Amino acid sequence: MARWLALVALVGCSLPDGDYFGRVAEGRDLDPTHFRWCNQGEPDHLDPTLASSTASSQLVAALFDGLTTYGPDGLPVASLATRWEVADDLRTFTFHLRRDARWSNGRGVTAYDVAHSVFRVAHPLTASPNADTLAPIKGATAYLTRRVLVMRRAVAGLRIGDVVERVPDAPSGSEASNAPSATDAPDAPDGAAPIDPDERTARAPLALRDLGAAERDAYAIVPPGTPVVRMMTTGGRATLPSPAGGAWAYVLWQRDLEGVGGWVPARELDGEPGGDRVLQVRRAASAPAVTVHGRDVEASTDAIGIRIPDPYTIVFETADPTPYFVSLTDSRALRPTPIEAWSRWPRSWDRPAHIVTSGPFTLAAWRERDRVELVRSPTYWDRAQVKLARFTAFSMDDQAASTNAYFTGACDATAANNVPSSYLPAINGEQRGGRAYKDYAVAPFLGVYFAWIQTQKLTNRHLRRALALAIDRTAVPRFTHGGELPSAQLVPGTPIAQLSDADLAACGVTRATPGVALVMVTGELCYVPPPGLDYDPVAARRELELARAEGGLPDHPIEYRYNAGAEAHKQIAEYLQAAWAQVGIPVRITAQDWNSLLDDTHKGDYEISRLGSIGNFADPQSEFLSLFRCASPDNRGRYCSADYERLMDEANALSDRRARNAVLRAAEAVMIEDAPVVPIYVYTQKHLIKPYVRGYATNLIDQPPLWRIWIDPDWRSR
Amino acid sequence: MTGWLRLAGGRLVASVAILVAVATASFWLLHAAPGGPFATDQPRSAAVARAMEDRYGLHQPLWRQYGRAMARLAHGDLGVSMKRDVSVAGLIAEHGPISAVLGLLGLAVAVIAGVAIGVVAAWRRDTWIDRGVMLGALIGISVPAFVLGPLLIASIALDLGWLPAARIDGARSLILPAITLGMIYLGTVARLTRGGMLDVLDQDFIRTARAKGLPEWRVLAKHALRIGIAPVVTYLGPATATMISGSFVVERIFQIPGLGTYFVTSVTDRDYPVVTGVFVFYAALLVVLNLAVDLAYGMLDPRTRDLGARTRDAGGRARDAGAPAGGTRR
Repeated sequence: MARWLALVALVGCSLPDGDYFGRVAEGRDLDPTHFRWCNQGEPDHLDPTLASSTASSQLVAALFDGLTTYGPDGLPVASLATRWEVADDLRTFTFHLRRDARWSNGRGVTAYDVAHSVFRVAHPLTASPNADTLAPIKGATAYLTRRVLVMRRAVAGLRIGDVVERVPDAPSGSEASNAPSATDAPDAPDGAAPIDPDERTARAPLALRDLGAAERDAYAIVPPGTPVVRMMTTGGRATLPSPAGGAWAYVLWQRDLEGVGGWVPARELDGEPGGDRVLQVRRAASAPAVTVHGRDVEASTDAIGIRIPDPYTIVFETADPTPYFVSLTDSRALRPTPIEAWSRWPRSWDRPAHIVTSGPFTLAAWRERDRVELVRSPTYWDRAQVKLARFTAFSMDDQAASTNAYFTGACDATAANNVPSSYLPAINGEQRGGRAYKDYAVAPFLGVYFAWIQTQKLTNRHLRRALALAIDRTAVPRFTHGGELPSAQLVPGTPIAQLSDADLAACGVTRATPGVALVMVTGELCYVPPPGLDYDPVAARRELELARAEGGLPDHPIEYRYNAGAEAHKQIAEYLQAAWAQVGIPVRITAQDWNSLLDDTHKGDYEISRLGSIGNFADPQSEFLSLFRCASPDNRGRYCSADYERLMDEANALSDRRARNAVLRAAEAVMIEDAPVVPIYVYTQKHLIKPYVRGYATNLIDQPPLWRIWIDPDWRSR
Repeated sequence: MTGWLRLAGGRLVASVAILVAVATASFWLLHAAPGGPFATDQPRSAAVARAMEDRYGLHQPLWRQYGRAMARLAHGDLGVSMKRDVSVAGLIAEHGPISAVLGLLGLAVAVIAGVAIGVVAAWRRDTWIDRGVMLGALIGISVPAFVLGPLLIASIALDLGWLPAARIDGARSLILPAITLGMIYLGTVARLTRGGMLDVLDQDFIRTARAKGLPEWRVLAKHALRIGIAPVVTYLGPATATMISGSFVVERIFQIPGLGTYFVTSVTDRDYPVVTGVFVFYAALLVVLNLAVDLAYGMLDPRTRDLGARTRDAGGRARDAGAPAGGTRR
């Protein structure tokens, strides 16, 4: 409503006539070293381990270097790692780090920083929202749930250092097999977290400090007898070597919600609160379970598949072939963070007073819900390429306000998808005889908008197929106004007509092929999703008759849900309702608040719901097809097909990426023909970028490398 | 004196009871709503979700979580935001002053313009001036902030380019939000002022003042307004609490990092400690400002200056808020 009115006023009195939407500065009015960006809201954190909001992802990439980082096309490029080797079986990945990378405090960045950060992400007390990114790494998820342990003593025929798996004390019911619950420990009263096998105490005060530092340099003192949790010990497979005088242990002390962590000489730890506890463990899934005590085992980081042969080489081992592993290394979970900062302030080291960064920028100021100020880092290895001295990100959580600020020239560009749909007809040319403003750019986005069907409620396959076939998706962009790409395919990508010749060849299609394709390695590897069940009203009625003959129609109108608040969701709901009514399927629509909708769909308590899926990197399986696996915790529609499972397993065992794509495509075809989901369109991203902003690369995953931007005061004469 | 003490003691007990009730209601109502602070549409395994929830003890029985929250509150600790990892008290300290400044500016707009309009309307009652300004006030009451704000932005910021369209950046950027916020209350203040003034202007002491030959502006400003403004003062107590604790709509339209936003987002985010924190804070503001209204009453109207005497009167109530216009006639 607010936006609608703003638009009326905008159109009524001030729709500018020129080529650009709003004021455009030039010449001396521009500061060529300062870029002002209207970000989409307030970042939740700038710590890569804890940040999970969209508003934080580009700031994190600007502040923290990764083994790889985002290239202009959104695909990973070498950064902290200069090169890497991928083993033929796609299970071992060796990265070689540059030696000139520095933290902003001057310390060199090493492979230990990468490993220690991963251990922090994987630790249950960190509660990192990004921990699932580590799932392919051997032992990472089991470390989080304390399922995988390492023997500290030789008992029951096991040797010191043996990696063992904890056997659940009681069957954990219907919990999905790849999503172990942490509740299976009998010593967890009232649903409290189970006692950690790594709890320790000390008889003397523990002086938490940096590795090897003197006791007087401690920044926190743990009182005697207070439990701490041991996270890692020096001299492990991927931990720092022990200083002279023996091993040190890194412990976490939860003195409050923030807590504190630090190194202490390992010999100072003695008490074992869970020492007498009886545990069942086994060496391999097939081995017999044996009984050990809490004091015999530890949740060592050695159980995680990471090795450090030398300080500038890190090796990751995955449990299964992981063809997309290199793509994970630019994600937040794998960007290294400085242990000296997060030890002292585990939840607040990302504030200006405490932060230590490694990327193109450092943090100068962070005014909550107002702006984040970055300045060029004097220690970044590639600082000569960073042309901006200052980068300001305004936290704009209201789309209309963000667009208004851009219009008045208060920001130089807006984050993707921060233009209200009510403004779009004025900007995209619909209201100016097709003349879109030149500073408005639309690009495809790796996301898909769909109607997700609860297949245990709507069990009849013919009915679901009728639902999919009844929708003419080409009409949808007419009321979403953002150039969305109507699609009956699940996996999103770039429209085939927009691909380069090299990518067309890699995809094995011609420019005339309809639909989208997902380029995974430029000019080399590409996934073309199967066509899906596109609009065919005759076929829809036929499927409906088949469903009726089988008695598969519900005796009530089907309920379609959407989340309230966005006008487009409502319009699409009404459009789908009308389309389904046309073929004879009565549907009623219900609006729900977002949190309730997520809760209900997660429990499977719905019939059809609007939802969407957005990919973080270009891979069909990890981000999209995995949603339809029987055991996936994200399988809201409860779809479960033996054929689909078999093909997905087959694809995951393949190390040849082309062959894998072919099997994935067959799997997607099986699934989409069963219609557990009705894809509607591929998302687009809408950018407003002033003409003097150069080097702002939009890409499929919306990860523009913002540090490559520069401001051109003479833009008009170039 | 004992009357005053009894009043203060009673007020204190009632205030604590109110705060406990607000904290209790916000806790149980929000926990009754489906979902939680860590709900997401992005893939997330049960193990990771569990680790995030365990950090805040969300799997403990509700009565125990409630007990902990209340024990924390009793120690003056509002807890930590589950979504943002910052203390709720810090959040109020960071964003509260921004809302307070904006609220006071809005209040100034509402009171200065509203009282002036009300006085003029009462003074020229039943003329076209009266009807004209009161119609304007009615429109002011009726046009919501989410209409007025965008209209002001479109005309003054986007079209004319005189003022910023969004964000707080210098004093100029406060003008449009203050007007938008003030207009919500301006109409009501004008109507209350007019009503109060009409009651007073008929009374004997006004006639006396006029008979003494005082200029009309002094009669209005010095004698009539002091009494006639009473209903406005009564209304301003809770209105001030609402204004200085921030408006979700105004803060959103103008992108102001104030406190008002949290009254809505903490609920939609299911950020339990923030919900309890901001609502308890708001309730405390209401309690304090209502007390301030009582004190202001005594100062404005000499006839009610003896607070002790007022507590002994029939209703036992410290103020006659229920009947603003008639309250001064005793």
